[in-house]
Amino acid sequence: MTSFAKAFDENYDVVVVGAGHAGCEAAMAAARMGQETALYTMNLDLIAQMSCNPAVGGIAKGHLVREIDALGGVMGEVIDRTGIQFRLLNRSRGPAVWSPRAQADKQAYRVEMRRVLEQQTRLRIKQAEVISILGDGDVVRGIELRDGRRVGAQAVILTTGTFLNGLIHIGENRCAAGRSGELPSISLAESIKSMGFEWGRLKTGTPPRLDGRTIEFGCLEEQKGDAVPTPFSFRTERISQPQISCYITYTHEGVHQIIRDNMARSPLYSGQIQGVGPRYCPSIEDKVVKFPDKPRHQLFLEPEGLNTYEVYVNGLSTSMPVDVQMQVLHGIPGLEKAEVIRPGYAIEYDFVRPTELQPTLETKQLRGLYHAGQINGTTGYEEAACQGLMAGINAARQVQDKAPLVLERHQAYIGILIDDLVTLGTDEPYRMFTSRAEFRLHLRIDNADQRLTPIGHRLGLVTEESFQRFLSKQARMQALESFLRTLTIPVDSGRISAVQALKRPEVSLESLWTALPADIQRSLTPEEVKSVETAIKYEGYLRQQDLEIERMRKASSRRIPAQFEYHTIPGLSREVVEKLSRVRPSSIGQASRIPGITPAALSIIHIYLELRAREKQETA
Amino acid sequence: MPTLTEDTIVAISTPMGRSGIGVIRLSGKDSLSLIDTVFQRSGRALRDRSPALGDIVDPQRNQVLDQVLVTCFLAPRSFTREDVAEVSCHGSPVVLKAILELLIRQGARLAAPGEFTLRAFLRGRIDLVQAEAIHDLIEARTLFQARVARQQAGGALSHRLGPLKEQLVQLIALLEAGIDFADDDVSVLPTAEVEQRLAPLLQELHRLQASYAFGKVLAEGLSLAIVGRPNVGKSSLFNALLEEPRAIVTEVPGTTRDLLSETVQICGIPVRLMDTAGIRPAQDRVEQLGIDRSMEALADADQVLMVVDGSEELGQDDHQLLKQMEGRPYHLAINKMDLPPRWSPDSIKAGARTVTSVSALTEEGVGTLKTRLFQAFQHDEALENEGALLTNLRHEQSVREALDALLRVREEVTQGLPHEIFLLDLYVCLRALNALTGETTVADILDRIFSTFCIGK
Repeated sequence: MTSFAKAFDENYDVVVVGAGHAGCEAAMAAARMGQETALYTMNLDLIAQMSCNPAVGGIAKGHLVREIDALGGVMGEVIDRTGIQFRLLNRSRGPAVWSPRAQADKQAYRVEMRRVLEQQTRLRIKQAEVISILGDGDVVRGIELRDGRRVGAQAVILTTGTFLNGLIHIGENRCAAGRSGELPSISLAESIKSMGFEWGRLKTGTPPRLDGRTIEFGCLEEQKGDAVPTPFSFRTERISQPQISCYITYTHEGVHQIIRDNMARSPLYSGQIQGVGPRYCPSIEDKVVKFPDKPRHQLFLEPEGLNTYEVYVNGLSTSMPVDVQMQVLHGIPGLEKAEVIRPGYAIEYDFVRPTELQPTLETKQLRGLYHAGQINGTTGYEEAACQGLMAGINAARQVQDKAPLVLERHQAYIGILIDDLVTLGTDEPYRMFTSRAEFRLHLRIDNADQRLTPIGHRLGLVTEESFQRFLSKQARMQALESFLRTLTIPVDSGRISAVQALKRPEVSLESLWTALPADIQRSLTPEEVKSVETAIKYEGYLRQQDLEIERMRKASSRRIPAQFEYHTIPGLSREVVEKLSRVRPSSIGQASRIPGITPAALSIIHIYLELRAREKQETA
Repeated sequence: MPTLTEDTIVAISTPMGRSGIGVIRLSGKDSLSLIDTVFQRSGRALRDRSPALGDIVDPQRNQVLDQVLVTCFLAPRSFTREDVAEVSCHGSPVVLKAILELLIRQGARLAAPGEFTLRAFLRGRIDLVQAEAIHDLIEARTLFQARVARQQAGGALSHRLGPLKEQLVQLIALLEAGIDFADDDVSVLPTAEVEQRLAPLLQELHRLQASYAFGKVLAEGLSLAIVGRPNVGKSSLFNALLEEPRAIVTEVPGTTRDLLSETVQICGIPVRLMDTAGIRPAQDRVEQLGIDRSMEALADADQVLMVVDGSEELGQDDHQLLKQMEGRPYHLAINKMDLPPRWSPDSIKAGARTVTSVSALTEEGVGTLKTRLFQAFQHDEALENEGALLTNLRHEQSVREALDALLRVREEVTQGLPHEIFLLDLYVCLRALNALTGETTVADILDRIFSTFCIGK
């Protein structure tokens, strides 16, 4: 750690390193909560760059964006203003797993995010390369810049994305880079490494981009957006920008053969790439090798914006040499004459094991240092943004000397994501899925505001005006629900309550619409109506989950002392002792989620805690 | 609850009573050094798993207590994963106690009941199901019980549940993939296929649950009250079933005044036989008290064996009692088949589960009676042979919870509820099975999804 011979050139409450999706939310949150904040980026023109696909949301990710928005984050509003194709996914299932997704105008998104940041008071945006973290004992003091300046801060948030020791692979070629065409952060990586954190290396990939003018869209399947776009933000009233279509094409056996023939030249299979890639976003090489029986793989052609011809080939992530990429592309229907604007590539980067973090995203080693986004081993803009938001909130709370905010697993997907990271760690880029949620029915997009907006308001992130709007929306929905609870409707065998009728799968609130008073009919939006319907339709299941939540809380409420000495327990294997000592779970519940912690090990810990409690009682 | 210190514990491992050999077991880090202070032998030092012959000597009095074999099992390759020493001595209670006391004097602590098994469990040597099975094995009173317990200790139940859970996890993974990857090229499981995949799961859980009816009897045994009017030969039959003349038998009606009870094994099941006083209008106060006890036994027993005399016409008392038996499970034995029958067994209109002609005197038909008592239970021979039947209430409750959850799933699927709704109950089912075997986590389910589907655009 560097010592402080010389004073700081500048001083802030909170410094954010990196202006990607995590950095933007972190900086906005800290500044909105009243802290003097500085956001450092290596390139001011690439703030909130979408380095991979030009889209926000998707199943579970859309949930995250809604939660970010409900807490007072900015991602939802920015995508609502710059999205060019909106779709609500999973419409064929229940409302708990509906999730919004939008294609973004990549450039417009970047520009709009910068505009939002620039308008925020107490927030300064700076272009400079950060080369080291300055600490004093176990407390962070600030950062050092490449130009020699030292910046003092009470809290530092690292959101370095793929820049730490980034290494790009295209075929046999390798080059150090943070993203395509950008410099990596090597000094900063060394500085963080010297602090003694545990490290890992991950890999992610991106597909080639094509010139849309050279694609035969005419012969391809068109995928339109929803006629009525569903916005991400609770504050967005209407989406007014023009909407575009995406197109679908497929690979085939001939293309797979080209890939197989060139496998030796793939850095993934030649051993050149060491980092672990995400299984749910495999490269085309991986798909062909691991699923040899699948005759074709689906590809989505996604326009990158309204003012560009650049098209993203979703599903064709690859690090094959450029000549192989061309052969593959030209074998695919519609792409026979396609011109490659940017080739696909894989990138390896360092990440800090998230088990080094507390549930507040503050590092266990250095007070005031927070990590958010890909540095924690996650993937995805939404996953990064929600961590940035939480790190920004908790950095500000620390500066204010107030208690941190930790969301529980039953409160938000954000809570699940962070608990998973700090408890389980991760060996591959971590992405959110709805199946990670124990209480999925509760964590819906329609009630994210009910769950989180009051919290955002208390923190000072949600404006008074937005909060009042939220309250009147709740009042409207409450009025509808109360009315429905008194309403009865005729059926074959007499009359039944409307609530009872709604529990039948085939009955919708729409079908009861004419029975509602005119003022209720007029006051509610379709989303609000759907939300009330969902709460009634599934109330039995929701109540059942409430009981589960209670049970989980009870089961996991036995606290484990922070200094609990696992190695003194004879029954625990060395592996289990190591894991528990590293994570230091605060309760039996958290311990139970650590991979490799067997029920037997948990019983043993439980028995010991019980025995100690008894011994204490006896000696008392 | 014993304390969890690392001291060395000792206990006599064989039952108290005279026998050929008796075993004393020590477990803990000082087991070997402790034994060394009292074990005199010619030859080498004690070696792992190699029995050594020598004398147990009380060092204070320099007195040989017994000639013994000492076998040691070094940690972690022992039952408790600690250093274990076993002393096989002659099975005299006096000798065993003397050696035990000597070892305690040398620094060992008398083990609390079950403490060896507890240590094995705490050190991860065995899982909960196995620990319970070991308890059952020790408690076993019949060979059949012992075999089932041994198979369960070896993980027979876990083996049975393994493939079942495998299918359940696969179903969950398919459904979850349909939700989380709806935007990918993943097909959604049609209702018919969900139902088709549920059917074998339900069948297997039903089967396991049904095995508890017999498993419970196997584990706990049952009580069988022998009732009837005086002088039909209840006590003779009692003796015949017991294979020893335990009850006093005379030709005087009402000889048995008090309740007599003995445990015997019938086809591998421990059965507590209760010989009761003959039921009729009492002639005196003592007989009345005996008859009251007979009625209590009749009410409390798991099973009732009613005895009638085949060589005489059925009397008032017989008919009265038969009437009383209506509506509860009982077996009927027609005794005295060595004499000419006065009526045909077919003529009796009784709701008995089984009707058997026997002769307590010649023991003819007694074997048949035993078999019939045993066959009255529903059997699942395949499960019994594997030792995978449920014998423990905790296991039965978990299986029933799993089964109930799965029945709700079937109902919810029929109603057309969305997948994320009936997945709730599939997880309830999985959790219940997890309680009996190892955990299955979200990570395991995701692994399944990624190995089944080509996910990712």
